[in-house]
Amino acid sequence: MTQPHSTRGAWLIVLASLIAMAICVYDYYTPETGLIGTGGVVLVACAALLMLLASLAMAKFPNRSPLLQTFLVVSIILDIIGSSVAGYFLESPVIMAAQALALVGWLMNVIGNAADRSVETDEVEDED
Amino acid sequence: MKTKMKTAALVALGAAAAAALYLSPFGATAQNSMMMAASTDQVWDAFGGNQQAQKYSTATQITPENVKNLKRAWSIHTGDVSSGARSTTWGATPLFVNNTVYVGTPWYRIVAVEPDTGKQKWAYAAGGSDGPPENQGLKNRGVAYWAAALPEGGKACQKIVYIGTMTGELHGVDADTGKRCAGFGKNGVVDVNAWLTKNAKWKIGLIQPPAVYKDTLILGWAGNDWVYKTENPGTVYGIDARTGALKWTFNAIPPDMEDQTGTANVWASISVDPETGLAFLPTSSPSPNYYGGDRLKEMPYATATVAVKAETGEVVWSRQLVHHDIWDVDTNSAPTLVDIKKDGKVIPALIQATKMGFLFVLNRNTGEPVWPIEERPYPASDVKGEVAAKTQPYVPYPEPTIADTMPPVSKFADIVSFGQCSRWKARLRDEGRYTPPSVRGSISWPATLGGVEWGGGALDPVTNTYVVNSNVVPQIYTLVPREDANRIYGDKQRDRDGYAAQQGSAYGFKLENFLNIWGMPCWAPPYGTLSSYDMNTGKLNWKKPFGQVQKWGFYMPESWGSITIGAPAVTKGGLTFIGASMDSRVRAIDTRTGNVLWKHIVDSPAVAQPAIYTYKGKQYVVFAVGGNGILTPRLADQLVAFALPN
Repeated sequence: MTQPHSTRGAWLIVLASLIAMAICVYDYYTPETGLIGTGGVVLVACAALLMLLASLAMAKFPNRSPLLQTFLVVSIILDIIGSSVAGYFLESPVIMAAQALALVGWLMNVIGNAADRSVETDEVEDED
Repeated sequence: MKTKMKTAALVALGAAAAAALYLSPFGATAQNSMMMAASTDQVWDAFGGNQQAQKYSTATQITPENVKNLKRAWSIHTGDVSSGARSTTWGATPLFVNNTVYVGTPWYRIVAVEPDTGKQKWAYAAGGSDGPPENQGLKNRGVAYWAAALPEGGKACQKIVYIGTMTGELHGVDADTGKRCAGFGKNGVVDVNAWLTKNAKWKIGLIQPPAVYKDTLILGWAGNDWVYKTENPGTVYGIDARTGALKWTFNAIPPDMEDQTGTANVWASISVDPETGLAFLPTSSPSPNYYGGDRLKEMPYATATVAVKAETGEVVWSRQLVHHDIWDVDTNSAPTLVDIKKDGKVIPALIQATKMGFLFVLNRNTGEPVWPIEERPYPASDVKGEVAAKTQPYVPYPEPTIADTMPPVSKFADIVSFGQCSRWKARLRDEGRYTPPSVRGSISWPATLGGVEWGGGALDPVTNTYVVNSNVVPQIYTLVPREDANRIYGDKQRDRDGYAAQQGSAYGFKLENFLNIWGMPCWAPPYGTLSSYDMNTGKLNWKKPFGQVQKWGFYMPESWGSITIGAPAVTKGGLTFIGASMDSRVRAIDTRTGNVLWKHIVDSPAVAQPAIYTYKGKQYVVFAVGGNGILTPRLADQLVAFALPN
């Protein structure tokens, strides 16, 4: 049982994930970052990859079940929180900025979705 | 017009006089002196900045106000880095002298570079780094420099740079060309191993460059003291700087004890008083490190500071800092020389920082303490055959760098390990400082990692401010009865779990870090501090957590500090420069307040004190960035200089 969901903000999250992954790759291979070869950036890169997949699903598949929608929304926000904390302890402003960008996308999506639901409800009421 | 003519005449006269001097029999000397007088560059010509081990620069260009603008001036990679079984440990302090920056590498090479660009002038490979790693692996703490007081014009090797290898060779090369000095040893190489005939279990490691006094090199070395009961006895050598001939030896082990024990070597740097010609030897503990039942006789020169005449090796005085050392708390840094202004008098003194976190402040001519040292009772050993010393020296003032008891168990580390830390601690013998090693396991506080590590402190001799970093690290010492050791470890000399055989004695030994299942320290932070003392009064100016722990890339809070290996250097400009911390950063600190004013990421922990010099009017701060497996697995080969932008 699928229904249309908002794709708003999803591309912003995709962008944020790509930025996070790119900076992680750079940090992992660059001595001057102080993070060369560290597990912390691998962790954030993996989280960014998961976020990328989730946000692509959000963007590409607007018709999805409410369960999947809830899973995507919750997993992305958990990813953002976890990566932000990691970015803070990695002292990486770029990772933290990418998470802020992802948070904006997430809020756009959640708010957009709520607004769509509200419009649909209004339309149903109008029909009544 | 008259003035111009007068000036021209004076210039001509001066030039003629200079030419006459140059061509005279004293020409070379005069030329040398003139060159020295003409140069305003501030040198860093010894491991400790100077032979007094003060790690002090008179440079004032970089100040607390402008240090925030400090930028990388140049950076090079020597290529001499490796990990795994042939892992490198690079704690070199570069030298700046003879208009050149010289640095030794852990592959036993000397690299000479231009001081303002890092461009290589020449490199010399001593060789020997490609065979099986000797007792200490591939390590280097730099090079030494000697210049003839009366150089013979036109002859090579009037200025020599020395590098030791971990295979026991000391190489001497011309400072200008990097070519071997044929007159030094056998074609530029002295085989120091050949001088060591008693109980020679392994080749000695010339990790630390020798100290230089006039035409004498004073050379200690590094080795094992965990593997055998009778290891190599820790001889110190006085060597002719020109010829490499042996002038004298000093032995901390009494001859009648050489069948029972060994080492008590000097593996740290050595300081020299240029005025009195006294060399100050920081001696280490006898072997085997952690069980002394076979070496109960008093050996007053072991774990001590010993003052010898630099040109003869004759002992003038000594002071033992730990009696019957069974904790491996070697005296691990060169004493820093200081002239203390106290009660209207100037006291020629030295500061001997130790792994126990004590600052022994002694009259350097007599060895008498400037402030009282107490003999305090400490716990007895419960190990069969062992007799721990009833008392140990305690330095109440200046305030020790660490407390008398270890920090409490970290609640966080304990909770996340489901009580592992507190349960483990409860099983161990823990009676504060000098708790003897035991079969059930003892908490050694502080342990072999210090307290103060091998760099020691730095002194501003103008203000007599002494800055020193210190670790806050308990470790667990467990003696393993020989029968059990044989059953568990067979004939292994060492094992990855911290085991060392101590073969020939009644006990093997196991050293464990007090970490929980997640690798977190079981004790509360901070793990490392930086302290400043006023050495005229002995008063502690400030003490702050220093550095940051970095694990898996994550930086822990600054209030936790970091374990440090390496040391600070101070400037007249009011700054303290230091790497040393786990987080691969180098920092500039306001010497007056202890506040961090600048930091910069480098390739790995910079586990040596920096060198500070001026060249063509510009001040440089240079770090050898090599890392140390004790801190992090991240190793490097970077030599990096910082300066203010033009």
